[in-house]
Amino acid sequence: MTETQPKVLVVDDAATVRAYHSTLLTEAGFRVVQAANGLEAVETALTTPFDLFVVDVNMPKMNGYTFVETLRSDTVGTPAPVVMISTEDRPGDADRAYAAGANLYLVKPVPPERLVRIARLLTADRVAAR
Amino acid sequence: MPEPPAVSADDLIRQLDDADPEARRVAALGLEGVAGAVEPLLDRVGAEEQPAVRDAMLTTLAGHDTDRVAAGLAVHLASEDAGLRTAAAEALAAMPVSVPALVPRLLEDPDHDVRMLCARVLADLPHPEALTWLAVMIKDDPHPNVVASAIDALLPSLGPEHAELLQRAVRRFPDDPFLRFTVEAALR
Repeated sequence: MTETQPKVLVVDDAATVRAYHSTLLTEAGFRVVQAANGLEAVETALTTPFDLFVVDVNMPKMNGYTFVETLRSDTVGTPAPVVMISTEDRPGDADRAYAAGANLYLVKPVPPERLVRIARLLTADRVAAR
Repeated sequence: MPEPPAVSADDLIRQLDDADPEARRVAALGLEGVAGAVEPLLDRVGAEEQPAVRDAMLTTLAGHDTDRVAAGLAVHLASEDAGLRTAAAEALAAMPVSVPALVPRLLEDPDHDVRMLCARVLADLPHPEALTWLAVMIKDDPHPNVVASAIDALLPSLGPEHAELLQRAVRRFPDDPFLRFTVEAALR
């Protein structure tokens, strides 16, 4: 593990989803930190810089949209890319995600190779700038 | 020092429409146990935009744990508002008296997102049949995301007796890598 490896915060209240996304990204060479809800994720993001956020929508305490809005607000103020991944594909969900400040909205299940490819694409500039 | 005059239930119900969110929150909490407040609270909870006020309304409503409240909250499982549907699921999970009668209908809901939220409700519902219903979802639900949510909900209670159930779920959805990962992790 080196400091040049991109660092990802995986935010999901489902332990199995957190483990799945974390395993995929870790095996692909990312450093991964996990949070079980938006509130926990905000606390983590306030103290640790991340290169990418992978965020669920439906979570207790603070849902994904509110978390992303908080990331983009002065409270955290990070420009790091955000991928929202939801089990839901209701009309308007993606619009809501983009309005909150997400860079990409995906519906589960996301094929493993696609998630890794997207994570690499979204973090490439930040890694190159180091 | 004289005690401040007690606020009547009617006053608190009127206060639910106050422009000040803190006044609405205090009113919602003050209506705990007031049967006549159920309909006014159900009328307002879906439109309330302040999460703290909405949570106070849901806390008071969940305390009633009646069929009327359960039915009134279950409709919000299909809400477009992620905060509302998640909060409604949390409130329903705290209603072990009235929610069980709703579960068969939720398990058959045509919206798979509602069935996924039903798995979340069952994860926290203190009821002896909750694990059985989750097993039914894993065994029969046609949507892999619902099955995965049910497995996640069952995780803290998983035992060797569930191995065949989980393996059968993987066989039903052989092309779903997440489901396979979830089951393999669970069986480890």
